[in-house]
Amino acid sequence: MIDIKGLSFSYGKNRVFKNFNLQIPDGQVCLITGINGVGKSTLLRLMAGVLRPDQGEVRYDAKLGADPRRKIGFVSDALSLYESLTVAEAIGFHKSVYALSLFDDSLVQHTKIGYGQKVRELSIGQRTIFHLSLILSLEPEVLLVDEIIHSIDAYLRRIFLEQIVSLLSKRRMTVVMVNVNFHDIEHLIERVILLKSGEITVDENIDDLKAKVKKIVGQNQPTSLNVLSRIDYSDHSEFFVYPFNDRLRETIKGDVVDLNLTEIVSAFIGGEYA
Amino acid sequence: MVNAKSAVPVYEQIKRAIKLAILSGRLEEGDRLMSLRELALKLTVNPNTIIKVYDQLETEGFISSRPGAGYYVKLDSSRGRKREQSLFREITQEYIAEALHLGCSIEDIIKEISSLNLEAILIASKKDNGND
Repeated sequence: MIDIKGLSFSYGKNRVFKNFNLQIPDGQVCLITGINGVGKSTLLRLMAGVLRPDQGEVRYDAKLGADPRRKIGFVSDALSLYESLTVAEAIGFHKSVYALSLFDDSLVQHTKIGYGQKVRELSIGQRTIFHLSLILSLEPEVLLVDEIIHSIDAYLRRIFLEQIVSLLSKRRMTVVMVNVNFHDIEHLIERVILLKSGEITVDENIDDLKAKVKKIVGQNQPTSLNVLSRIDYSDHSEFFVYPFNDRLRETIKGDVVDLNLTEIVSAFIGGEYA
Repeated sequence: MVNAKSAVPVYEQIKRAIKLAILSGRLEEGDRLMSLRELALKLTVNPNTIIKVYDQLETEGFISSRPGAGYYVKLDSSRGRKREQSLFREITQEYIAEALHLGCSIEDIIKEISSLNLEAILIASKKDNGND
């Protein structure tokens, strides 16, 4: 389990988290989302140990051992890694640092990465895939994935996701992803956490969330429901509501429309910009 | 195949698709189902979702697992036609809910069903079974 307790963090005078708490059980695939600048990536960095909290702590299970960072894989495009080495040299170095006997090259094989290429010459997508292979060869118990999926093309993204699905079917691994756009990852996600002003405003299991957030298309705002955001058209409006309740269907004037995860998150985030 | 917009949970959608395939004969007794990994990869869903689907299908008497060898279609014959009936009821309920949602009345739905060319549907469903 990842146990975040009483965590506070500021960038200078800009406070991002104050007494923040979150628990993520082993083997859960979790999505952290929210508007730009809300601190999603900062939280991930704190979890990865790249940043240190001002107060509080991020505690990992005892099973990760004395040095949990070795069992935490952090995939981020902001990390520069072995820039001046060739791919082959970077693999060799990585193996010796971590005393690995094997490097799993199955991911790299799918890309056009050449072993003689310098790491800094790789495209962002290739670099991400290469970085991921280095991380996965350490067989992490926890995989933290920053908002990188946007920067890689559809083909590499598919390979990336397949690799994660494949790993999840072999063994339990906790995955925490940070994202705002997820048509291709939404069926991997078990839990959705929405951040707002340094706090968790939504924390739901994916199936519950889909049952509770709806779009109501009609003339008048439904008075019985909490409206997150609305879009007005000339002759009707769309109201995004949460929490919706099936028993209210009878009383609502207008159509109740189901939403996918991207639409659900947009509804929450749209409300914040309004 | 998986509808991300539907409020029907993903595991429920997958479960229903497999039940339909079994009850309609597209998957036959003894056929091997895809492994957890294969199906999770094919649909890009969390493998835990597939585990849930297979567990429930096993409990409901549609499939059985052989340790180390995977999952096979095995209809528990003692349950008779009840399964078909309950799946049929589920599909019908959803169809009616959807139609009501579109603004149809119950009378409209009944009229629509009775005006359907049943012969054409029967022929189409036979073709469907033959192809697979």
